[in-house]
Amino acid sequence: MSEFENRIDAQRAILKIVNDVPGQQEALFGLSRKAIDRWITSNSIDPTGRLAELVVSAGKELFFLANKSQEQVTDEYRIRSSRVSEITALLGDEVKRSFAEPR
Amino acid sequence: MHIYAFGSVVRGDVTASSDIDLLAVTDGHDSRFDPAQYSIYSYERLAEMWLQGTPFAWHLAQESRLLFAGNGVDYLGALGKPAPYMRALEDCQKFAALFAKAKASLIEGTSSSTFELSNIFLAVRNFATCYSLGVERKADFSRNSAMRLGLNSLRMNSDAYRVIERARMLSTRGVGKDVNEAEECFVKAQLQSIDDWMENLMDLVKKNERVREQN
Repeated sequence: MSEFENRIDAQRAILKIVNDVPGQQEALFGLSRKAIDRWITSNSIDPTGRLAELVVSAGKELFFLANKSQEQVTDEYRIRSSRVSEITALLGDEVKRSFAEPR
Repeated sequence: MHIYAFGSVVRGDVTASSDIDLLAVTDGHDSRFDPAQYSIYSYERLAEMWLQGTPFAWHLAQESRLLFAGNGVDYLGALGKPAPYMRALEDCQKFAALFAKAKASLIEGTSSSTFELSNIFLAVRNFATCYSLGVERKADFSRNSAMRLGLNSLRMNSDAYRVIERARMLSTRGVGKDVNEAEECFVKAQLQSIDDWMENLMDLVKKNERVREQN
């Protein structure tokens, strides 16, 4: 699978975790900073909280990987790829907790 | 360090929904450039892309304008013309696969339907660009490249096309009215037209490859 497909799949997995949680005013449409900001506002999410922080971090890592998509695999690339997997794992619990609590 | 503008602002077809695309060419990390605002590449990587004849190299070669040169020399201009683009088949297959996956996800009933509609727009646009660069040798890098291929343009209901275009805006720039269920259903009913279009153009890409191999 190409790096491009991997990045789309990683984004799809993160969005699924977030969007599968019911009761949101508006889904997260993508992991660009502007799409994330819209989701934060629409759902009255604390922009300084853990949930927003994780989603923003995921977006940043994927953005880095996209800009470096043609680069040879470097240590930094590998580190950031595994960081996306870590964030994805952390997000599952965080998103359930955040939407279960009154905001 | 060099800074270029590229894309719609250079083509002259800027609209209210256009982004201003900026490229920064740097030696290593440069904290002055926010990756959200700039595409950031090293000199070495761009030179390599020129040698590989990638779509991005052709995009920059055709549609970039120097804004700043630390050394007074137009770096991209000095690279000349990129090598011929040879990966049309591979790239078109990649975007056809992106379309197929997004379509499957929509049909399964994803909770991220706007994202998948956005992926469909991305697949259609990039497929058209790679086809135009690989087969017609006059690349179209515009947002609506799929609609600008003459007889080979995408024949999709224009309302459905506008929905996937809006989904792309929502996914990348976070602006616009969310896609509702009726619109999503309407687009889903039109997806066969994209399948047919990609299949026809893929045949032309393969034919082009065969001719190239024979020569």
